[in-house]
Amino acid sequence: MSLRDHFDAVTADTDRADGLAVDRDKAIAIAVFLIPGLTLFTIFSVGPIVYSAIGSFYSWDTFTMEHFVGIDNWVRSLTDPLIVNWSNMREFQYPMGALTHNLLWVVLHVPASTFLGLALALLFADLKGRRILRSMVFAGFTVPPIVIGLVLMFVYDPQAGIFNEFLRVIGQGHLVRNWTQSPQVAIYALIAGGIWVHTGFSMLLYSSALSAIDPSLIESAKVDGAGAWRRFWDIIWPLVKPVTAVVVIMGIIWVMRMFDIVYAAGGAAGGPNHAYSVLGIEVYRAAFRPQIDYGMAMVVALLQLFIVAPLALYIARMR
Amino acid sequence: MTSIVMDDVSKYFDGGQTIANYRLTLEVVDGEFLVFLGPSGCGKTTALRLIAGLEQPSEGAIYFDDERVDGRSPSSRNVAMVFQNYALYPHMTVAENIGYPLRVRGVPPDERDRKVEEVTTLLHIEDQVGKKPAALSGGQRQRVALARAIIREPSVFLLDEPLSNLDAKLRQEMRVELKRLQNELDITTVYVTHNQEEAMSMADRVVVMNRGTIQQVAPPQELYERPRTAWVARFIGSPPMNLFEGTRRNGSIDFGEAGAVELGDVLRGGETVDDEVARPASPGNGDTASVVTGDVQGEVALGVRPEDLTITTSRPTAGNVIEGRVDTVEPLGEYVLVNVTVNDQLVNAKLADGTVSRDERVYLTFDDEDAYLYDENGELVG
Repeated sequence: MSLRDHFDAVTADTDRADGLAVDRDKAIAIAVFLIPGLTLFTIFSVGPIVYSAIGSFYSWDTFTMEHFVGIDNWVRSLTDPLIVNWSNMREFQYPMGALTHNLLWVVLHVPASTFLGLALALLFADLKGRRILRSMVFAGFTVPPIVIGLVLMFVYDPQAGIFNEFLRVIGQGHLVRNWTQSPQVAIYALIAGGIWVHTGFSMLLYSSALSAIDPSLIESAKVDGAGAWRRFWDIIWPLVKPVTAVVVIMGIIWVMRMFDIVYAAGGAAGGPNHAYSVLGIEVYRAAFRPQIDYGMAMVVALLQLFIVAPLALYIARMR
Repeated sequence: MTSIVMDDVSKYFDGGQTIANYRLTLEVVDGEFLVFLGPSGCGKTTALRLIAGLEQPSEGAIYFDDERVDGRSPSSRNVAMVFQNYALYPHMTVAENIGYPLRVRGVPPDERDRKVEEVTTLLHIEDQVGKKPAALSGGQRQRVALARAIIREPSVFLLDEPLSNLDAKLRQEMRVELKRLQNELDITTVYVTHNQEEAMSMADRVVVMNRGTIQQVAPPQELYERPRTAWVARFIGSPPMNLFEGTRRNGSIDFGEAGAVELGDVLRGGETVDDEVARPASPGNGDTASVVTGDVQGEVALGVRPEDLTITTSRPTAGNVIEGRVDTVEPLGEYVLVNVTVNDQLVNAKLADGTVSRDERVYLTFDDEDAYLYDENGELVG
């Protein structure tokens, strides 16, 4: 078919169906390109979610669905002290339950990594060698979290760890301990590690947001008489707000899905006596460790999804 | 009210690798409208930023009245600045933008509102106060930027190419309005532009800059009538002055195949030339008459503005004549621009009507008093 014929065919098509034929061609093309992605998405995302949503209302014999039990799995899981431990929470004793631990991560990790990231981005903005500094800070985020967990084990090691060594050097030797295995402080040690890693992420986002601010705005504010602090509050902070939203939400999502760092430090139990277990660990344990409780695994996984999904949706819908 | 003095100010970047400004010495008198004019990269914006305090001079001193201000922050200098892209805070409304300098200074809200109303009325943007900058047109943004600058009654008003983002019609309107505003407020104003029409129409005095140095400081009319250097001559005017390059031989200038012009006529014609300027070209001789008879040689450039040239097709018998060949004719309605090749050099002539055609042999003539002579260093000698 020559090019000429091709043109004729196209013209004929449009004449016949007022352009609808062309639109149908387009729709078919779009469908063809969507099929591979949608197939994978259905098999690995939608399918399991629907399967869990249904399965969470059934009783299970290991991996075999048995019979409908209503909200039994839900009640059992949500009242399980491994998920929320009310009595320990009243006394502020760990473990306080995986969900509580996750929320503690949110409360401590997210603001800290956000503000540290912003602070570093501001600090590096006008510095010579900022690219190298940025890369160094961001490098932590590029390392797989499981490796971060293992590195933290070294950092906090009672004999060889540099953190304890640092305490000894500054004369605080009485504080030396195996940080990841001391139930009442371990979670903070891990959160600190998480902050270290995640700061790189928020710093990178803030750096690009800061460089997107027109320098003449800052200069204009200078001429208008605003000092450094006012320039930050009146100009920079409002202008990086969209990035703050992204950083905070991504941070919440990141800690709600937390698994690797905790697993590396505390194994499938989430630390001694589940001292810093998180929801991800509980899902894993309920699903793959004896006593297998597939129903509970599904409930906890859905719980994670309920918390994370609206946030993900918000990000996806941002401008 | 404030006068500004720049005393031998230089500004280097990259540890001296880049010279942005070199030994600027300049006084802006109280209430004056001064325009920095020059091609891009000539250092005019850096000079403005030095006055604003956004840059600090590498050498030299800057005074506001008798007070030395270099080294001080912009906020302590009470300057207001309008940026090329207006620099409106995108997250604030028009009213918040305009009121921001007052808010920073802790002016109470009701007084702030009153002043915002005052300046928005002055600039005819009272209907826009609730909008965000993104919802405004270019001209309205420009007015908001101006309003923000004048609201706190600055002692110095600085404008960095404020009209370059507007379309031609709006630019002309704003030009008039700016001039009127500056007259009414009587604030010392420094204005940076690369557009000579803007500079000539608004300035009390124009500072022509090139490669970081001041070429000439003069009122617009003088700049046009007496460009001090060949560079300024080539820069001012639309189209700018033609410079015929030739060799000076005793009393005349030889243009090779294009003919020769009696130098005596030119120098006598330029009677306004003061001795001080003329002297360097005639070492040992005090008066212009002796220049003509003196035995001097050298490369010179003879400048004639396109509007002062006339074209004839037959060789005139008297006067200054330069021979050339017509390259192109551009009929522009108001006038006809004829481009003539003289010794491989393109020359413009602005005529009321053009009856010549391409490749025609023509003779360019001009009066003695319309000619300028520049020596090999580009300095005006006559």
